[in-house]
Amino acid sequence: MIASLNGIVKRYDSKLVLDYIDLDINEGQIIGLLGPNGAGKSTLIRCLTGMETVNQGNVTLFGDGKKPFQNKNKEKIGLVTQEISIFPELTAQENANFFAGIYGLKGEVRKRRVAEALAFVGLAEHTKGRAQNFSGGMQRRLNIACSLVHDPKFLIMDEPTVGIDPQSRNHILQAVKKLQRNGTTILYTTHYMEEVETIASEVVILDKGQIITRGTVQDLIRNIQHEERIKVEVSHPEEVSLESIQALPDVKQVIKDGNQILVVSSANSGHLDRILTIIKEDSGVVGINVEKANLEDVFLTLTGRTLRDGGSA
Amino acid sequence: MTVFHFVLKRSIANKTSLLILFLFPVVAIFLPSGEYWPHLPYGYQYFGIFILFISLKLSGLILEDRMRGIAKKVSIAPISHFSYLAQNLLAYFSILILQCLILVYGGVLVGKELYQPFWLFILFITFSMASIAFALMWISFFRNKEISMLIFMSIISVIALIGGVLIPIELLPEILQKIAIMLPTFWLAWGIDWVVFGGELKEFLLVNGMLILYMFLFLITGSVKKLH
Amino acid sequence: MMRVLRTIPYTVIRMSRDYITLLLLLVVPIILITIFYFVLGDLKNQYGDPAFYDTAQLMTLVFQLFGGSIVIAHIQDDLFSPRRQRLMVAPMSRPFYALSISLCGMLYSIFLGFLLFLFTGIGLKVEWGNGFWVMYIIGLLAVLSSLVSLILIFAVKNFKLAERLSEVYGIGCIVLAGLFFPIPDYTVITFINEYLNPLLLAANAIGYAQSNLFPDAYIYMIRLGVGIVITFIIVFVLGRRKI
Repeated sequence: MIASLNGIVKRYDSKLVLDYIDLDINEGQIIGLLGPNGAGKSTLIRCLTGMETVNQGNVTLFGDGKKPFQNKNKEKIGLVTQEISIFPELTAQENANFFAGIYGLKGEVRKRRVAEALAFVGLAEHTKGRAQNFSGGMQRRLNIACSLVHDPKFLIMDEPTVGIDPQSRNHILQAVKKLQRNGTTILYTTHYMEEVETIASEVVILDKGQIITRGTVQDLIRNIQHEERIKVEVSHPEEVSLESIQALPDVKQVIKDGNQILVVSSANSGHLDRILTIIKEDSGVVGINVEKANLEDVFLTLTGRTLRDGGSA
Repeated sequence: MTVFHFVLKRSIANKTSLLILFLFPVVAIFLPSGEYWPHLPYGYQYFGIFILFISLKLSGLILEDRMRGIAKKVSIAPISHFSYLAQNLLAYFSILILQCLILVYGGVLVGKELYQPFWLFILFITFSMASIAFALMWISFFRNKEISMLIFMSIISVIALIGGVLIPIELLPEILQKIAIMLPTFWLAWGIDWVVFGGELKEFLLVNGMLILYMFLFLITGSVKKLH
Repeated sequence: MMRVLRTIPYTVIRMSRDYITLLLLLVVPIILITIFYFVLGDLKNQYGDPAFYDTAQLMTLVFQLFGGSIVIAHIQDDLFSPRRQRLMVAPMSRPFYALSISLCGMLYSIFLGFLLFLFTGIGLKVEWGNGFWVMYIIGLLAVLSSLVSLILIFAVKNFKLAERLSEVYGIGCIVLAGLFFPIPDYTVITFINEYLNPLLLAANAIGYAQSNLFPDAYIYMIRLGVGIVITFIIVFVLGRRKI
């Protein structure tokens, strides 16, 4: 076990920010911590890393529940902060060297790790460049390199892709996957569900300070998927026998809209093939679209609100 | 006049700004007089430096607009670059006029010997105009408000010293006296001397004319650079 | 402890790359002192010494009053900005780190003072008296000013306000010392200038030493020292709560 939160309660004055959080993080996982702005993700991280004391409950890091935040444990953790927290007046190499130093790296190991960390985030060519002259994406990558330089066993990434270009974002996501393959455990918080779908081996959804569900992306989707919607674009819509489709078991609704036929049926009905056969008898098929549920729908189903803004759907 | 209205509002938005803007002229009224020099009480002698700083602090709003991307929004709005700048400068100028009024006529009220208060007021007004224009030019060179202010502080301390505001110009070596002529503070110091000792009106007109000339020079340089 | 020591070279690099501070605390005083050198020329003070000596010494000391800005800018950047999070999760003592930044800032300020001392002493031939004593007093003044700035940043929530207040401290000392305009002879002001105004305490400590009146020089030096002890205790109490 890398980390464990048991019954964590955190209040700011009278406001309850974390409400009895239980969370276990096992070795080798990428846990995607997903939630709208203000859900309590950053507070959870602050409690997990000892930046914030908890009002109730306890934190265990690397099996140590007594003194989880002692230096021995801190050495194994890396934190990629949401804000870019590097020294603008230092070069990329000096920045990485500084953080290597405070994590106790020395001599050749330090030199090697600095070079590796910078190469890992694609900054090998820019080691002598000052951070203040870097683009936003490069600064974000340097921000990550500074958290990786001591080769942490457990990496916490707090919204590491906020406000960057798609290219840098892809680079970061690829890097996260590579880190996992090398054995690093990662807690990745974001409010972009696409990122979590791409990289997370397990998803934890947080809302209003509570964990509302957790599991693999597929599990979570499967749990909420009650129906599927198949849209078929046809060449001769007037010829298609809607009744034959409606007669199929588990089909809830058949709607004709222009040259599109929309079929709503129970989830995993396996009707796609049969529907196509029926349509092809009377018309040509121009296009097919099967709408699948995603994590947004999971959140929507569980909370009645959308993920992006936390507002009503 | 929306820009003018909101610039005024932003300039006096918090208590600290309000305090700096209007407490200083009041304090300056009560500063003592020198024995031989300066000829006007210290508060009036140093007021030119204060005007320079206040002009930069006020025009920092334009720089802030540029830093926050507001300038970009303004540039695509149906308002001309000229109108945006003019309304900004007008707002700063209004505040400075008020400060000059407080200083000069406040001094008259408490019985300070100001020789020719009306002409002193006019001198401070023209210097304010040149000073605002200078600030506009200054910020056009920078993208960061803090840095612009810090470098400004360095330059102003030198300008004030050479320009005859901090020490009598006659004490400077000849070469520095020649350089001083190029500085607006030199003309301010000359103007103050005229207010104290009197003289032909055309001399005073020359002083103010030079300050206005500076204003145009700085305005042109400062407004050439587009805000975005 | 070792880990904090390893950060020191980077703190030094960062300070040396802060060109604006170099401009304000080194280049500007050099220019101003040089102008005064030409302005005052051979003018003598009431004791028959060149008046420029007094001005150059005071100007060198004046700029030490603003040395605290170096320390608080770095404390703010590292411990009260987003970078704080990184240092909070790092296996390193934050109070020690804060101490190391403060010491670096103070030493840097003293170093700038040393350069001004060299410039005026060697370049402009100002007589300072015993160089070690002068540097010792400049050091005390720089430390005291940094401690005052630290109190402000720990006591005031808003950094900008703390920065402004540290400028008020510097300018206030100059005004009270009567450098901008003559200050009326009120008992309160005389008391402040005699016991509290670090600028005049340092100037007197150097001035008396130059005239070989060491007992008097020691008195002013001790007053500066007492100021440092008191401000250090306040910094310690406030800093422990904030860092």
